[in-house]
Amino acid sequence: MSDTPVPARFYPAGGDAHGHPARLTWRGHTLTVMTEGAPALQISADALQAEARGFNHGQWALSWAEGDARHLLIVDDSVVAPLRTVMPALFRGGEQRRQRHNRRFRLGLALLVALPLLLLGAALRALDPLTDRIVARVPASVEQHIGEAVLARTRLEGPMVESGPAYDALQTIGRRLTRPGEKLQFHLAERPDINAFAAPGGVVVVHTALMRQARSAEEVAGVLAHEIAHVELRHSLQQIVRSAGLQVIAAALFGDYTALGRWAAQLGELKFSRDAEREADQGALERLAEARIDPRGLLAFFRTLARVDAKRGAPPPLLSTHPASAERSAWLETAIAARPPGTPLPIGIDWTWAGHPTH
Amino acid sequence: MAMDVVDYEIFGSEMQYVEVELDPGEAAIGEAGVMMYMQDGIQMDTLFGDGSAQQSGFLGKLMGAGKRLLTGESLFTTVFHNEGSGKRRVAFAAPYPGKIVAVDLSTLGGTLICQKDSFLAAAKGVSLGIAFQKKIGVGLFGGEGFIMQKLDGDGMAFIHAGGTLMEKTLAPGETLRVDTGCVVAFQPSVDFDIQYAGKIKTALFGGEGLFFATLRGPGKVWLQSLPLSRLADRIVAASRAGGGGGKEGGSVLGGIGLGSLLGNDE
Repeated sequence: MSDTPVPARFYPAGGDAHGHPARLTWRGHTLTVMTEGAPALQISADALQAEARGFNHGQWALSWAEGDARHLLIVDDSVVAPLRTVMPALFRGGEQRRQRHNRRFRLGLALLVALPLLLLGAALRALDPLTDRIVARVPASVEQHIGEAVLARTRLEGPMVESGPAYDALQTIGRRLTRPGEKLQFHLAERPDINAFAAPGGVVVVHTALMRQARSAEEVAGVLAHEIAHVELRHSLQQIVRSAGLQVIAAALFGDYTALGRWAAQLGELKFSRDAEREADQGALERLAEARIDPRGLLAFFRTLARVDAKRGAPPPLLSTHPASAERSAWLETAIAARPPGTPLPIGIDWTWAGHPTH
Repeated sequence: MAMDVVDYEIFGSEMQYVEVELDPGEAAIGEAGVMMYMQDGIQMDTLFGDGSAQQSGFLGKLMGAGKRLLTGESLFTTVFHNEGSGKRRVAFAAPYPGKIVAVDLSTLGGTLICQKDSFLAAAKGVSLGIAFQKKIGVGLFGGEGFIMQKLDGDGMAFIHAGGTLMEKTLAPGETLRVDTGCVVAFQPSVDFDIQYAGKIKTALFGGEGLFFATLRGPGKVWLQSLPLSRLADRIVAASRAGGGGGKEGGSVLGGIGLGSLLGNDE
């Protein structure tokens, strides 16, 4: 029994589309519909059907048949409580439907949020195998072009050194490292930061600061062998393809936010992966052994770098991309020890030109 | 809080504005930036949130403001009080070509669900809320998105939409299929759903997209003939930047170009 009438809108069968305002009350098992200017209607609860409908199922449609037609009452969910407490069974089906709807909505929303993330994950996973396949198809001529471009940019950025003891030393070391039939160019750039890099196409650029800081030709040879190994293994090419792929993914993800895309791509450019570094170290050791150069130079150079680092505060660029971690040194040492101890031929360059105090 | 009863008059034909008459002490709320003019004696006050009575306390206001941010409206609403001694008028102008419709919420059972940013102005006491569309399919393809606006109260509200704004009353069970994006407002008793256009050929070449929005009565619905996005698409397409040539009098090929032979409605 409910005493406060529940507001509703009544759409009698055959009536107009606008309906009439109505008030509903329960009297025992009977629903009373009161409309203005018309006698109250009495409907038995057994004849009634309730259905959740409207926007987000926030409305109840109570209907009953009269002949072929159906009368309809629309009640807002916020005021339906008095009716519901009297006849809970009538509303059960609609309530279940509404809850099912809400669950489906939450599930759908979760999927909508998760789907882009899943796609991103899949794209990132597919990136590495895809990169390998693309890199395998890049012809040598493209590598040559990239190398030339890198060299041209290096020339634009600052002066190059084309003669002198450092230049001659670099060429001598380079010749020792070059395998028969291999085309490698060694360039010396006048730069204050300790760095060396190799570009695709066999272009190796060494900064003068690196030559000056090294204590022996073997140290330089170790670093160069490492850098050449990166080129040989096409690591930089992989990085280029990978960052292009990342840029595509970022563009797809963020729309046309080029800045974000560039930022995302640069994350990949920062350094080679740990695996790539190890591979390059392995390749360097092989090359040094073939050239009969003492492989401990590589190890020694990283120690030299660490000393410079401690003295200066800011790490040299080479160190920031090639962390001389204890793990790495240990690995190098074991790898060197595991190799058959060949008889290294000293490169035989007088390193006093660099002006270090002799030990 | 009792709703303020306002008298109003709508002026103009395609680019309308509504002039609201306020008795002394009465107030109206307007979407920020739509006020066109006001007479002496009307005080303007900017509220954080929507100015309805139920929002008390800072947190309530913050919630109201957050909701407005979600529906794409500004964080602030402006309240216009008549502090004078006689009747005073304030006018609110529609921001783009279209029609303004006055809706008396008291005759609608107190609630109206609207397309977001279709709200223009209302009597003070009408509260603006958000109504989250919980049908995923409708949210994605219904043309109105997931976030709609809810007007609650029993005063006058003015909504605005593009082109011609039509009110239709749907009888119980009566269904109207509408191009997505054309639904402006409806009563909560109306079922808003989507329907697959049915034929691939129609979907691809009919220019109406893959889905229709369906509206099933009983209840009132308001439809717009020209959603702003469609107008904007046409303007961009016709502009120099959009590659439309931008020449006065049309391109060399004019109306017989390939574009117009193949192009559809959108």
